[in-house]
Amino acid sequence: MRPRTGTVWILAPVLGFVALFALVPVVALIGEALAQQGAGGFVALIHDPLNLAALDNSLVQGGLSAAAAVAVGYPAGVFLGRYDWPGRGLVRAVLLVPFLLPSLVVVVGVEQLFGPGGPIGTALPFTGVFAHGLPGIVAVNVVFNVPLVVLLTAVGVESVPTALEESLATLGAPPARVYRDTWGPASWLGAAAGALLTFVFSALAFASPILLCGPRCSTLEVRIYALDQSFLDPAGAAFLAVLTVAVFLAPTLAYLVFVARLRSRPTAGERRGRAVPWRRPATLPMAAATLLLVAAVVTLLGEVVVRGFDAAAPGGAAGSALGYLFGPGAQATLGLSIVAAIGNTLVFAGSAAAIALLLGVVSGFLVRAGRRPAFGLSGVIYLPLLLSPIVLALALAGFWRPVLGGPSATWVLIVIAQSLLALPFALQGLSVALARVPRGYREGAQSLGASPFSAYLDAELPLARPALLTAAMFAFALGLGEFTATYFLATPATTTLTVALYRLSALRSPGPADAAAALLVLFSLAAFLVVELGGRRVEL
Amino acid sequence: MSSSELLRVRGLSVAWEGRPVLDGVGLEVGRAEYVVLMGPNGSGKTTLLRQIAGLDPPGAGSISLRGRRIERVPPHRRGIGLLAQEVLLLPGRTVRENIAYGPEVAGLSSAEVDRRVEELLGLLRLTPLSERLPMQLSGGERQRVALARTLAPRPELVLLDEPLAAVDPELRGELRGELRRVFRELGVAAVHVTHDREEGLWMGDRVLVLLGGRLVEAGPPGEVHAHPHSVAVARFLGYSVLATPAGPRAVHPREVRLVPDGAGIAGRIAAIGPVGGEWLAEVALEEGGRIEVRGSGVAPYVPGERVHVRWEREVPLPPEEGPSPSPAQRG
Repeated sequence: MRPRTGTVWILAPVLGFVALFALVPVVALIGEALAQQGAGGFVALIHDPLNLAALDNSLVQGGLSAAAAVAVGYPAGVFLGRYDWPGRGLVRAVLLVPFLLPSLVVVVGVEQLFGPGGPIGTALPFTGVFAHGLPGIVAVNVVFNVPLVVLLTAVGVESVPTALEESLATLGAPPARVYRDTWGPASWLGAAAGALLTFVFSALAFASPILLCGPRCSTLEVRIYALDQSFLDPAGAAFLAVLTVAVFLAPTLAYLVFVARLRSRPTAGERRGRAVPWRRPATLPMAAATLLLVAAVVTLLGEVVVRGFDAAAPGGAAGSALGYLFGPGAQATLGLSIVAAIGNTLVFAGSAAAIALLLGVVSGFLVRAGRRPAFGLSGVIYLPLLLSPIVLALALAGFWRPVLGGPSATWVLIVIAQSLLALPFALQGLSVALARVPRGYREGAQSLGASPFSAYLDAELPLARPALLTAAMFAFALGLGEFTATYFLATPATTTLTVALYRLSALRSPGPADAAAALLVLFSLAAFLVVELGGRRVEL
Repeated sequence: MSSSELLRVRGLSVAWEGRPVLDGVGLEVGRAEYVVLMGPNGSGKTTLLRQIAGLDPPGAGSISLRGRRIERVPPHRRGIGLLAQEVLLLPGRTVRENIAYGPEVAGLSSAEVDRRVEELLGLLRLTPLSERLPMQLSGGERQRVALARTLAPRPELVLLDEPLAAVDPELRGELRGELRRVFRELGVAAVHVTHDREEGLWMGDRVLVLLGGRLVEAGPPGEVHAHPHSVAVARFLGYSVLATPAGPRAVHPREVRLVPDGAGIAGRIAAIGPVGGEWLAEVALEEGGRIEVRGSGVAPYVPGERVHVRWEREVPLPPEEGPSPSPAQRG
C-alpha cells in the first residue's frame, strides 16, 4: 500500500510506537548480547542440550496442538461459516471465549475437568491423561487456540459468494467438485492461517508446560525466562530470544500472508446462508464437532466457576477459598491484596485498550488511504506478532526500564506490552469494518473542502464506531488475560490477577488458585459480554 | 406432453416464512423457444428460476424436463444452465479455462473440450480475450464469457436471471442482439427473466408476466403488449389506467396525441422531458386523472402549459380488486 503524498506524517504515531517499544528494544537486546559474548556465545547457545530440548519441545507441542486444533476446529468452522441455523451467532460468540480467557484459567480448567475428582476424569478414567504431561499441554493449547481455527475457517468459507457455487453446480459440478474449486481452498486457507498461529502460540506457551509437566516439557519461552531469571544469564536469554524469533518468523509471516489473502480474495458478491443439509453424511460430524466445542467451553467455564466458589480455605482455615483470597493470608502470600491485584488488572487492561484505540484510529486512516486496504503499511500493527511475549518483555525491560527508571516504569512497561500484544487482534475487526465503508463518504466530505484526515474523522470513522468500540473492548479483554509478558515484568506491587493465579498455582495452593481462576473467568466473561454488546463481529 | 415441449411447471407454490412467493405457477417451454418472464421486482421471478434450476428446496407442485420429474434432482444433474445477474467467473482461471469448466466436469475428452471452447469463443467473439483473467475483462466481456461458460456443457435449457441488468446501457443493446443470435444459432431454449418490459417484449418468442407470485399473462409479445388483461399488467406494461363509469381503461402513451384546442380533453403538463430519443409528458387532466404522452423530436411544451389530448384506442379492463384508479373522463 502506498500512502498518498502529504499523509506520511500520519504514519509516525503507529510506526513510532511499534518501533520504539518493539523494534528498538529487540535490536538493542541483540546488540548487547553480541557485545557481551560475541558470536561465540550464539554458537555455544545452539549446542546447549537444554536449549535444543526446549526447541524440540516447542516444535512438538506446537505441531501436535496445531494438528489437533485443526482436526476439531475445521469441521466446526465449516458448519459455522456455511450454514444458517438457529443460535449460530451465539455459538460463534461462545467459541470466541477461550481466546479471551487467560491461558492459566484454561490450565486450571483442564486440570479440574480431567484430573482426579473432575467430572470428565471420573466418568471416563482414560481421559485422565489430559490432566498432565504432554497430552494436558496439547489439550490446553487446543482449547485456547481452537477459536483461531474455527473463526478463520468460517471467514474462508464466507469469502466465497454463494452465487459462484450455484453457477458451478448448474454447469454440472457435483458438491465435491464445487468444494474443490471454490470454498474448499478458501476454507483451508483460513484453517491453515489458524493452524499456523496455533502452532506459534502453542510452541511458545509458558504457563501450561510449567504447571502441567515441569522442566522436561520446557518450551523456548520457559527456557528464555529461566536463563534470564534463574540462571542470571541475560545474554544467553537474548541469544535464545533471537533464535526464537528466527524460528517462528516464517510461520508468523505465513499467517499474515494467509490472512491478507483471505481478506482480499478477488471474488465479489454476497454469501447467502443455506439450510443445514442434514441428509448429507458429512453434516453430522460437523455439527457434532461444533456441539463438542461448545460443550467443552461451557463445561470448562462452569467447572472453574463452580469449583472456585465451592473451594474451601487452605490449611484447615475456616470459610471459603474466596474469602481467604480477600483476606490477609493471601495478601501475605502474594505481597499485595487481591483487591489491589484486581485494580492493577483493570488499570493495565484499560490503559492498553486506550492505546490500542488511539492507534486503531490512526492506523484506520492508513487502511482508508491505501489502495489495498487489508494489508500493506497498516501491517505495522501486526509487527508485534513476530515477537513472543517473553521476548517482548525481555527486550522492553532491558531497554526501557533503565531509561524510565522509578517505580512507575513497571506499570508503563506492562501497559505497553499488553497493548502491543493486543494490537494485531484488536484492530483486525476495525480494519475489516473500515475497508467496507464506501469511499463515497470520504470523497463527498473532501469535495466539500475537508482534508483527507478530517474527512476520515468526520465521515468514515463514525460509520465504524461499533467496530472501534469492539476493538477497544477486545484489547481490554486480551490485556485482562495476558500473562506471560506481565508475569515477566511485574513486581509484587504490580501483580495482576493472572500473575496472582500463577503464583497461587505454583505454590500448589489449590483452593485460593481455584477461587482466583473463578474471579478471572467472571472478569473475562464480563469483558466478552461488552465485546458482544458492541454489536460488531470480532475478526481474528 | 407434446413432442416439442421441453420444460413443464405445474402448480408450483413456494412460501418463505409463511408468506407466499409463488402461487400455483404453471408454464411450458418448448424446445429452442426463447421465453421471457417479466414482472416487477419482488414478483417471484428469481424464485421461480431457482426452483427450476434446483437451487432452493423444492416447493409444492411439479417440474418436468423432457417429461421427467426433476424436483428432487440436484442442480448438477438437471442439465439446466443458469446465467445469473451477478457474473462470477472463477478468478484464477483464464477465459478459456472458465469456458472449459463445464465440459471438463462432464468428463469429456480434452479434444472435445477444446472443440467446444473454440466454437463458443468464436460464436461470442471472445477469441482475442481467451487467455485473459476475469479481472482483466470489462463488465460486458465478463457477461459474454459467463454466457459461453453456461452454454459449453450444451444444456437444452438455459435460465437467464436479469442478465443485462448490470451491463452499461450502451452495451445492453448489443448484448440483447447477441443473446438472441447465439440462442437461435445453437437451438437452445431459454427462460429469460427481466423487470425491463422493453427488453422482455423485444427478446421473447413468448412472454409471461408474473405479478405477486402469480402468472397473470402469457402469449406472443405483440399480443401481450396490445391486450393487457388486468389493471396491474397494464400498468406494468406502461399503460396509463383511467377510471371511467364503464370501468378501468388502459391507454398507451404512444397512442395518445396532443391536439389543438377543443379537439380533445383539456389538461396541464405536469412534467415533461426527454426519454431516449423521444419526449415523455405527464398530463394532469382537468376532469381528474393523469395520462402519459410520448412523442418524437424536441419536447413541444413546458410544465404548466394547457394542452388537449386525444387517443384512438383504449383497452377495457376488468375492475381491479382493492383501491380503484383515480377518476377521469375519457376522450
